[in-house]
Amino acid sequence: MKNRALAAFLVCAALSLPPGAALLAQEQAAAPGAPGLRYEIWVELDAAGKMLLGKEEIVWTNPTRDAVPDMLLHLYWNAFKNEDSVFIRESLAETMFQGGASPDDGEWGWIDITDIRLADGSDLKPTLQFVLPDGPETAGDQTVARILFPAPVQPGESVHVRLEFRSKVPRTVARSGYYRNSFFIAQWFPKPGVYEEGQGWNCHAYHMNSEFFADFADFVVHITVPKGYVVGSSGKQTGAHVDESAGKKTLTFSQAMVHDFAWMADPRYLLIEREFIADREVTAQEYQETADLLGLPLEEVRLPNVKMTLLIAPEHKGQIDRHFKALRAALKYYGLWYGPYPYETVTMVDPPYRTGSGGMEYPTLFTAGTGVLRSRKALSPEGVIVHEFGHGYWYGLAANNEFEAAWLDEGFNTYSTGRVLARAYGAGVLSLNFKGFPVEWFLRLPMIFDFETDRAAAINTVRYDPVTAWSWKFYNRGSYGANVYMRAATLLRTLEGYLGEPAWSRIMRTYHMRYRFRHPAKADFVGVVNEIAGKDMTWFFDTLLDGTEAFDYGVAVVSSVKVPVRRRGVYDTNGTREEWTQKKIEALETSQAKAPVGGAAKTSYLTTVVLRRYGEARLGGDAKVQVLVRFKDGSSETRAWDGQARWARLEFIKSVEAESAQIDPENIWLIDANLANNSRGADGLRRNVVKLMSQLLFTVQSFLHFIGSWS
Amino acid sequence: MSVLKAIAKGMGTTLRKPRLVVILYVFNLVFAVAAAAPFLLLVHQELGHSLAGSNVRPADVTWLGEAALKYGNALMPLLGLVLTVGFLYLALQVFFNGGVVGRLLDREGRTTLEPFFADCGRYFWRYVRIFLISLIFLFLTFGVLLKLLSALIRPASESAVTEWLPLILSNLHFLVALLLLSIVHMIVDYARIAVVADGEAKVLRALRHALKFLGKRFFRAWAIYLLLVLLTLVGTVVFYAVLGRFAAPAVAGTVAGLVWMQIYVLFRIWMRTVFVSAQAEYYRSHPY
Repeated sequence: MKNRALAAFLVCAALSLPPGAALLAQEQAAAPGAPGLRYEIWVELDAAGKMLLGKEEIVWTNPTRDAVPDMLLHLYWNAFKNEDSVFIRESLAETMFQGGASPDDGEWGWIDITDIRLADGSDLKPTLQFVLPDGPETAGDQTVARILFPAPVQPGESVHVRLEFRSKVPRTVARSGYYRNSFFIAQWFPKPGVYEEGQGWNCHAYHMNSEFFADFADFVVHITVPKGYVVGSSGKQTGAHVDESAGKKTLTFSQAMVHDFAWMADPRYLLIEREFIADREVTAQEYQETADLLGLPLEEVRLPNVKMTLLIAPEHKGQIDRHFKALRAALKYYGLWYGPYPYETVTMVDPPYRTGSGGMEYPTLFTAGTGVLRSRKALSPEGVIVHEFGHGYWYGLAANNEFEAAWLDEGFNTYSTGRVLARAYGAGVLSLNFKGFPVEWFLRLPMIFDFETDRAAAINTVRYDPVTAWSWKFYNRGSYGANVYMRAATLLRTLEGYLGEPAWSRIMRTYHMRYRFRHPAKADFVGVVNEIAGKDMTWFFDTLLDGTEAFDYGVAVVSSVKVPVRRRGVYDTNGTREEWTQKKIEALETSQAKAPVGGAAKTSYLTTVVLRRYGEARLGGDAKVQVLVRFKDGSSETRAWDGQARWARLEFIKSVEAESAQIDPENIWLIDANLANNSRGADGLRRNVVKLMSQLLFTVQSFLHFIGSWS
Repeated sequence: MSVLKAIAKGMGTTLRKPRLVVILYVFNLVFAVAAAAPFLLLVHQELGHSLAGSNVRPADVTWLGEAALKYGNALMPLLGLVLTVGFLYLALQVFFNGGVVGRLLDREGRTTLEPFFADCGRYFWRYVRIFLISLIFLFLTFGVLLKLLSALIRPASESAVTEWLPLILSNLHFLVALLLLSIVHMIVDYARIAVVADGEAKVLRALRHALKFLGKRFFRAWAIYLLLVLLTLVGTVVFYAVLGRFAAPAVAGTVAGLVWMQIYVLFRIWMRTVFVSAQAEYYRSHPY
């Protein structure tokens, strides 16, 4: 409470300062204080039995003005306990990617709290019961449990809970699991939800299409594994003890101000450490440009050094440099754009084979994912490394509720990943494999940027769900992914185009730093956008994130007709009535054309451009789309349209005909569902269209030849 | 006759009968235009008037995304049309096989439309039966032999420590599938040749001739087949290597690309006739 009040005060004060100073103040406001949550966990891996045995101490301080009578705990691994779990029921009901979500016989995972009591010894076990925070339709799920305290925890008061747990490691369903002697351990310990003042515990069941939400905490974790195992973990290693007689070792890892803790253990793995040395990665000019762009003092944008650790399978060791290069790029650009990485370490894990743990983020640790054969042009594993590291910012630091607003991290991070990859690598080819071999080794694949694929998915998914739906309430997994990742990213890129790079850079930086170590929601981001942009952009979010209507403006007609010297009909001139027939008009035109140079009347053309709003979604606020009309003499004219009506007609009188008309010529409205109809030019076959058509014909010819070969 | 001599003679025969390739090419083109017409019209309608048409690339994600949105519901009927045309083309090829084999084995005969279609009609029902027998062979290959192989390698693949073993096993499986497929195709080719070369009216007898012939000189016959496959692959590599050079933004490049693609289609069709011709030369040089 105290920190939040201080932050609010500083933010309010900052609003009256110039932009640079405002950002500085916001960054200071976001500096972390001591979290209201502490964990110390002792866990032992029984590698043969695929079990975890753990003890855990949780100290929770009530940060609200509520008296809190209970605590809700996530027991995530019960999602893999049986087919009554919400996770597996949702997986089995999935309409897009069916099958494989339910473990095979003997491969279930679960977690039991075997003992739970307060520090004074009060036994809480009798009060422990499974609850259904997401409604009675989730009956049978055991991923959330509730304990009742003997007396409510008063505001500012702390409660010290000690518990013991016993877990069976699942044989990989999602994110956590084992394969042979390899283990990836995530969402593994009993973990309180987030207490929200006046709302109670925010502690959802483990859903198929959802990730996580937790409070920032200080962690100390002691991990005991067989002696020969290589261990990677969130946080920094602060201790090690080897018990030769038992053939075990215990490693201690600590980390302050994180909201989750994951680790892996594998006897085969290689562990490589390198240093991110900021001054080698970022030039003085880059620092200066960033500071200028953001309106911040140079010192504010300087990056710290970070210890990078890679745990990689021996068969992938040829890709060690690729992994570190991608991580360095991510540390650099996320740091420059959104704020310095605040932790001393980052651990990158090449996911153990068949543990299903690839491409996932945890604070200060993430899993990448590669294969033994990789094309350099495909930016894989680079893409996943940048993306999962980026979640350290979007989810790790600006820690939104992934159950309720997944787009706030997935969308932001997909957008950011695309920017980093484009800056560090340029375009890449799609990562397609045939029988384990990159297709790109055999065929020339087109080079594309992430934002292009994002947009293709974004325009196709709007009809299913709004971006802002809760994670498990999407039509299917495809809609969830395309909406929260790709449509959200495309909308952010659209907003960037509309507001311009300087304002946008400050928006993203301010939002991140202001909500670093906090739990932002949509309104917080909208507030920052409105504040920095200096205009109300709420319509953008209401229409395009909360809405499910297509956004599509286009040019329907471009035509130029000669303006006649006279129009046909009967005219009263100087008291006489005269009829102008077509014949008379033509005669007049002929005589004018024969007039000496300079005396001839100029030929004029009336160009008509009809614009249409094909989609239901429309612009709001003071937003307008630009319309660029080019004429055959090389001149051009630009007009703006507010896009409110279903159509608009623009007219131009010029001495030449129009060559083309284009709506949104700068491609600002990337979310537009049909960019092909944004322009219209002179008819006729275009070279690239001919090329495309000839390739289509060739493809069909080849297909027929192939079919014919089976005759 | 040696393997290389059979191939050389086969090539020589096909080069003396270029009309055969032209006939097959024309029908390929006509069917392709019929199947591709809706797609070509769609491309023209969407991009013909748009400035986007000047920048559109092959496999353009931007435009493909828009086409999916606009024509996604029509995709299945359109693919249905392509498949229907494909099946008709397959039936036509069964019909044409008689003409191709008949004309290639008639060394001195003319390759005008009349004798070509006469051969097509003469051998059609026999070749239909061979086609049906080939389906049985394909079922035995894919439905039995390769499934058995999959079952054999699955335990090793499922317990692999790294991805190397599954990758290698999967590719070996694929290679075996291709080799078995080549054998099936080869047997069927020789059965078709036997029908014409031996004037065999009974398909099963022609098949027996082919199997007996292959039983005595399987590896040489297979070498002919695989060498021709290799030659086709080399041609394909050359095609794609050259095609890449037509990417420059010039009208001449676009036209050259278009022509080059059609040359490649002609090459593929020619190679198909070389398969028949070379194997026929080999068959006739070793009476069973």
